[in-house]
Amino acid sequence: MSSSKPLPNSYSATILPPANKAFVPRDYSHGTELRFSTELPAKLQGRIPEEVFTAVIGNINQLLIAAETGSASVYLESCFACLTGYLAYLCMETQYEKCLRSVSRLVEEYNRTVFGPRNLSMIDPSERGLRVIEIVLLRP
Amino acid sequence: MPKRWEVYPGKSQVLFSGRCISAKNLSVFYLTLALIVISSCLFLAFDCRLLAVTLSPSVPVLAAVQFIFVLCCLLRTTFSDPGIIPRGTPDEAAWIESQLEGPQVDRDGNYRPPVRLKDVQISGRVFKLKYCFTCKLWRPPRASHCSTCDNCVDRFDHHCPWVGNCVGRRNYRYFYLFLISLSVYCLYVMVFGIVNLVLLSNMRKDFLMAMKESPTSVLTILVAFFSIWSVVGLGGFHTMLICRETSTNEDIKGSFNQRRHPDLINPFDQGNGLANCCYVLFGPVTPSLLNFREDEIGLGSSISLVTNNGRNGTASAAAASTAVTATPAVRYSNLTRNNNDATSNSVGHVNNSVQVISESLPAQLPGDGNDVIVKNGNGTPADGVISGGTDTVGAQNSNTQSASSVHCIV
Repeated sequence: MSSSKPLPNSYSATILPPANKAFVPRDYSHGTELRFSTELPAKLQGRIPEEVFTAVIGNINQLLIAAETGSASVYLESCFACLTGYLAYLCMETQYEKCLRSVSRLVEEYNRTVFGPRNLSMIDPSERGLRVIEIVLLRP
Repeated sequence: MPKRWEVYPGKSQVLFSGRCISAKNLSVFYLTLALIVISSCLFLAFDCRLLAVTLSPSVPVLAAVQFIFVLCCLLRTTFSDPGIIPRGTPDEAAWIESQLEGPQVDRDGNYRPPVRLKDVQISGRVFKLKYCFTCKLWRPPRASHCSTCDNCVDRFDHHCPWVGNCVGRRNYRYFYLFLISLSVYCLYVMVFGIVNLVLLSNMRKDFLMAMKESPTSVLTILVAFFSIWSVVGLGGFHTMLICRETSTNEDIKGSFNQRRHPDLINPFDQGNGLANCCYVLFGPVTPSLLNFREDEIGLGSSISLVTNNGRNGTASAAAASTAVTATPAVRYSNLTRNNNDATSNSVGHVNNSVQVISESLPAQLPGDGNDVIVKNGNGTPADGVISGGTDTVGAQNSNTQSASSVHCIV
């Protein structure tokens, strides 16, 4: 990029994104619910069919959205915890944690069946603070 | 291999080896704790002696139960993760920042900072998402960056010095219940303190004599009386906020102020005050995303989760990793690192190549794309010196490939 003046020193480097990683960002169009974009990243074009990718992300989204839905069991669990002064949380696992664990298992499953054979690897979004789903391109 | 809490870059205080997190400055929290504990002890030790005998032994029992509940809520609010969003990895940051319109200098010579806003439409209303340069992430709607703790916090309410922590999504219910329970408890202590004085004065036939005989009652009544105004007031304010599904931060900014701007609808409002209350107070509890107790397996240098034993991906990744750790204080813009790790078992390759080039060079560098060549500002290559210390490649198996050249300046 050209400019008429040299930029301040701290901005003299242009940073390129990593060539072997694709990122699936969060989709906030439905609010703050946990949902990732189902759009196929450019780096994965040709590596994985779009329908497969959409289905995979869709399934992960379903589990994540279920984690944030207020169901009767979730309310009961919270009420019970409140009555114990929240000491119950020290020994029990919340519904949300169970959902995130099932997402981890699903990601493992997809790595074995869908991504592994295509030399891709999906990183569990919990490892990335639920910011992005990172997909590593194992071989160029 | 360090744990994640050991490399945590924010300004919050991590306690008990990553099990708790709070603000760095807890002096006002200690004051709050002292006021509650000392008043309660005085009340239970002195006032309840007469009350238990004259009225009922359930009076001190109820007081004790309330005291414990108030303490539990307070300690939960102070020491739990308020909903901190972990910082983005360098790779994520590179990806996002490459998409942002970069800093530019226009014809007049004015410097324009990089554009870091994007619009997202939620239920018919446009929200502006900001890119947080400190945390290297797109801030979700309702999240905000706390300058005291230097973190982005989800559904940020406010930073409360009395409680010694930010109040955000994860600990808002504890904060609110602390306020409500403390209001009730203050009222309880004040009422029964007065009852105690009245009973004593009836026995002694002199109110002043009763006060002299039980000075701690006077003290607890005064503390409770002055606390009630602020605690009940704040509790009422937060009740109103909860019913409208707004946070203090949004209320201050007027994000959902429909009186001024009728199109500023609140898409998070479920329409019914009771439904909002139930969701905020008893809805799903987000676990802490910081995962402090886990091993830090590198700044976004990811290990494939393809394993042959079906264990939880996190555990197997940590176990099989050839860890590359970096000093947490290193800022992304100065650090480049390339590591070519391979392990002999079924865990796959990872290349963590981040290319940094100076402005005057062409975008494509020669070579296989794995080498990182760092240039100084004037275009001459810097000597490849590994600094910043902790570039350990541990637990390598015998048939690993040799690591490619690592050039790194801090």
